Amino acid sequence: MAERILVVDDEPNMLRLLKTILTDKTGYLVDTTNNPLEVSKMLQEAPYDLVVTDLKMPIVDGMDLIDIIKKIDPHIPIIIITAYGTLETAEEAIQKGAYDFITKPFRKESILITIRRALEWRRMQGELAALKAPGG
Amino acid sequence: MFKFLRRFLKPEEDVQERLARKFAHFRQILESNNQALAVMADMEEKAGGEFLFDTGYLQQQVGLLEKHLTTMVTEINALTDQAYPELVRRHQEIIQAIRRELSPTWEIPDSPFVLPLKSLNRESAPAVGGKMANLGEIAAKLGLAVPPGFAISTRAYLHFLSASGLAGKLSALLAQASITDLESLEDISRQAQDLVRQTPLPPDLEEALGQASHSLAARHLAVRSSAVGEDARFSFAGQFLTLLNVPNTPENLVRAYKEIVASKFRPRAIFYWKYRQFALEELPMAVGVLAMVDARASGVMFSQDPHHPEANAVLITAVWGLGKYAVDGTITPDLYRVARDRGHQVLEARVAEKPVALVSREDEGCVEVTLPQDQAHRPCLTAEYLGELTEVALKLEKHFGGPQDIEWALDFNNRLVILQSRPLQLGAPAFGAQPRETLWEPAPPLLNFGIRASGGVAAGPVFILQSEREVGQIPPGAVVVARQPSARLVLAMDRVAAIITEVGNPTDHMSILAREFKVPALVDVGGATRVLRPGQMVTVDADAARVYPGVVLELLERRTGTEPTWKDNPVYHMLDAILKKTVPLNLYDPESPEFRAENCRTLHDLTRFIHEKAMDAMFFLDVEEAVEARGVCRLKTDLPLNLFVLDLGGGLRVKGQSIITEEDIVSRPFRALLRGFHHPRVRWAGSVAPDLKGFISVWANTMYDMAKGERGLGGKSFAIITDRYLNFNSRLGYHFGFCDAYLSEERNDNYISFQFKGGAASVDRRERRARLLGQILEGLGFKVQIKGDLVQGRMAKYSLLETEETLEMTALLMAFCRQLDLALTSDAMLDRVLQAFRREDYGLACLRPEEAAS
Repeated sequence: MAERILVVDDEPNMLRLLKTILTDKTGYLVDTTNNPLEVSKMLQEAPYDLVVTDLKMPIVDGMDLIDIIKKIDPHIPIIIITAYGTLETAEEAIQKGAYDFITKPFRKESILITIRRALEWRRMQGELAALKAPGG
Repeated sequence: MFKFLRRFLKPEEDVQERLARKFAHFRQILESNNQALAVMADMEEKAGGEFLFDTGYLQQQVGLLEKHLTTMVTEINALTDQAYPELVRRHQEIIQAIRRELSPTWEIPDSPFVLPLKSLNRESAPAVGGKMANLGEIAAKLGLAVPPGFAISTRAYLHFLSASGLAGKLSALLAQASITDLESLEDISRQAQDLVRQTPLPPDLEEALGQASHSLAARHLAVRSSAVGEDARFSFAGQFLTLLNVPNTPENLVRAYKEIVASKFRPRAIFYWKYRQFALEELPMAVGVLAMVDARASGVMFSQDPHHPEANAVLITAVWGLGKYAVDGTITPDLYRVARDRGHQVLEARVAEKPVALVSREDEGCVEVTLPQDQAHRPCLTAEYLGELTEVALKLEKHFGGPQDIEWALDFNNRLVILQSRPLQLGAPAFGAQPRETLWEPAPPLLNFGIRASGGVAAGPVFILQSEREVGQIPPGAVVVARQPSARLVLAMDRVAAIITEVGNPTDHMSILAREFKVPALVDVGGATRVLRPGQMVTVDADAARVYPGVVLELLERRTGTEPTWKDNPVYHMLDAILKKTVPLNLYDPESPEFRAENCRTLHDLTRFIHEKAMDAMFFLDVEEAVEARGVCRLKTDLPLNLFVLDLGGGLRVKGQSIITEEDIVSRPFRALLRGFHHPRVRWAGSVAPDLKGFISVWANTMYDMAKGERGLGGKSFAIITDRYLNFNSRLGYHFGFCDAYLSEERNDNYISFQFKGGAASVDRRERRARLLGQILEGLGFKVQIKGDLVQGRMAKYSLLETEETLEMTALLMAFCRQLDLALTSDAMLDRVLQAFRREDYGLACLRPEEAAS
C-alpha cells in the first residue's frame, strides 16, 4: 500500500513544489496544508506514515507541531524543514523527537532520500514492535 | 634632492594613515564584491531547477546583496573622495525594483465595473483577472468559440469594499479576531463571509450588474472567480468558487457575485491576511460571468502530456454533461491521446464507464443523472472531434507560447466551446536523467577536468581566442577556447556553441553571462588552448567536465528536451524576475564611453563598475602624496634603482627604519616583483645597439637624465605595499612604469594592472615597443590596451601562484623593455626581439653578435 505523507508549510509555493516532486517521483500519497491548525484534525481523520513540516510558521510553529503530532501518534516520523542558519533550533527539534531535519534550500534528491530513510525507519519500528508483541 | 627629503621628513600630516585607510576601503570593496558575486551565483544555481526553496530564501539573498552592494557603494566613494555619488541612487533604484518583485502589489486600474468579454485581451488581466483576460484573448485573437459573457472588474470589487463600508468592517473583524485554533479561524471566516453576503452593493454597481444581466442573451449563467494574481503567488487556485447554472436575473447575478466575493474569505485566505499582513486590496477579486453552456460532453485537455512531453501527444479527457465531474474526479473520464502531428491520429482511447453525469437543471443549479448503460460505455468523442480539439489545443499553445491546460465543452448543437485556457504545469523530468558522474565515456576525452560554469552539452569547431579583440571574428557555432574569461564575449554569446577557459570560476562575469545565455561553459581547464586545435570538432559536456573529440550525438540528444519545466512555479518566476534585475551585465567594456555609473542597470553592473573603478583608484594613487608619508624608507639594493618603500601593513618585517634591505620585505607581490628584476638574464647596464639616429633622439630626450640621482639609472621608484598588495610606480631610465597588484588565496581578488609609457626614442619606435609589449603581455594572459606608446594591461582572477608568476614576469618585462625602443628600428626587429623574449633571451644577446658568438 502506498505510504501517506502529510506536508505542512505556510508557504503555498513550497507546498506545491514539494507535492510536485513527491508525487512525480514516488508512489507516495501526498496531502498538503499551509495551515498548521489543520494538522491535528487531518491526522485524526486519516492515518499518515510521515509528516514533513516547516519549522517557522505563524501561531503554531514546527516545534509545537511536534508535540501535537506526537500526542496523536507517537510513532510517526517527522521531518523538519529549517531555514539556513537555524541549526540550533533544528537540533532542538530532534531532541523533541523529530526524526531528521533538512535545510532550505535543498536539492530535490535530498528530500527524497530523507523521506525514504524515514519511511524505512518507520517500517522497521513496526516490524520490531510486531516481533516484541506477545505471541508475535 | 634636499627638497624631496625634506618633504618626507616633515611630520605635518600622517599620509601613511590616510593611505592605509584608502587601502582598507579597497580591501573592503574586494571582499564585498566577492560576496555579492557568490550570492548571485548561488541564486543562479537555485534557478537551475534542482533545488527547492521558498520566498524566505529569496528575501535572505536579496538582503545579502543589498548589504554587500551598500558596502561597495559606500567604500568606493570613500576611496575616491565621493567621485561616484550617482551610484547611491542607482543602487537604491535597482534594489527597490528587486524588492517589488519580492512583494508584488497589484495596481487596480481605473476601468468600468463591467467589461464585455469581447472587449478583453491579455492586457486586461489587472482589470479582470487572468482567467477572463485569457478567454477574451482567445475569442478576439484566435476566433475560437467561447460563451458570450462579461467580467465584473477589480475596480468594481474595490468599489464594493470601500463604498459599502465593508472594507472597514472586515478590517476591524480581522484585527480583533484572535485566532488560536482551527475553530476560531473557521468562525472568523464564517463571520466575514456573512458580512459580504449581507452588505448591499453600492447602487451604481448594482445598476451596472443589472444592465449587464439584461444585455446578455442567456437564460442561465456560470459565475466564477477570476482573481488577479491567483496563479502567481498565492496559490489559491481552486479555492475560489464557481457557481453553475445561475438564472440570469439581476437579483440572482448580484447574489452570485457576492457569493464569489465572499469566497475570498475562506479560512485559508484569512489565515494569510492575518499573518502575512496582506491588505484587503491585494489579490483583488474580479468575477467572470458567462452564458451557461448546455454541455452534451465536456472535459479538460493538455496540449502536451505533462509526464511525457516527448511523446508528442495531446491529452484529452471527457465526460458526459458538465465538466465538473471530469475535473474533481467524481467519475473516471474517457482518456484520449491524440498525435500532435498532422492527421491527429488517435494514439490511445481509454473509454471509461461513466455511469452518471452532472447536468443543468431546468430552473437553477445542477443535478446528477444516471446514464443508460449504452451511453455510459460509449466514448464521448469521435475521432473527428478529437482532431478538432487537438487543433484548438495546438493553436492555444502556439498563441500563449507554452503548453496549455484547457477546459472545453461540446454543446447540443455539436459546437466546441472553450471555457478556459491557462499554462500547464508540466511534471519534472526524471532525476538522474542527466548523470553528473560519467559512467559511460563515448570516447576517450581530450580533457576531463574543469569547473562547470554553465551546464549543458554542445558541439562545434574550436576557435582559439588569442585576444579580446578577436571576439568579432568568432564564427557562429564555435567552441570558444580562451586563456582567461572575458566579459566581452557577451558580444558573441548569442552565436557560440560553448566556452572553455583555462582560468576563471563560476562566479566571474563571463560565467554569469554564459548561464544567462544558456551557453555551456567550462572554466579552469588548464592547458585547453594547447590541447585543443583551431578548427577541430569537439563536443563539450559541461555537466561532466569533459571535452570529447568529434560530435557525440548520444550526449547531445540526451540533453535535448530535458529542460526542467516544473519550474513553472511562482517562486521560480520570482527568482527569475529578481535575477533579471541582478545578473545581466551591460557594462562589460571599461573602455567604452558607456562605462559610467549612471548606466548601471543591474547589481552585476554595479559590482563590475565599482570593482573596476576601485582598481583604477589604487592604480592612480597619488604617489606624490605617498612620498611625503612619514613611514617612507629606502631600499638598499644592488639593483640600479632609487627605490623608496611605504608599508601600509604587514609588508615589512621591520618598523621605523629609514633604510631596509630586501630581507626585510615580506610583501608577497613586492618580493615577486624584485625576483623579476633580479632575473639573472636581465641586463640592467647599457642600452642595446641603437643606430646613430636613434641615439641622438635618446640623447636629446634624456638630457635631464644626465643629472641623474646619486645612484643607478636615476629617477625614483616608489612601492606602496602591504602583505598582499603592491603599488609600484617607477621611472626606469626614461620610461614610466606602473604596476599595481594583489596576491591572495582568494582568486577573485587577484589582479595585476600594468602600464608602461614614455621613452626616449622616436615615436615610431616607441609605438613599436608598445606593440611588442602588448603581444608579450597578451601571451602572459593580460587584456591589453594600446594608445600610441602607452600600453596598459590588466589580468584578474588567476590563482595565487599564477598571478605571482605573472607578476614576476611583468617585472622582468619592465626591465627588459627598458632597453627596447632604441633597438626597434623595424618591424622585422620587433619580431626578432619578440622571439628572443620567448626564447628567454632577456638580455637580448642575439642582438649582440659578439656575445652570441662567444
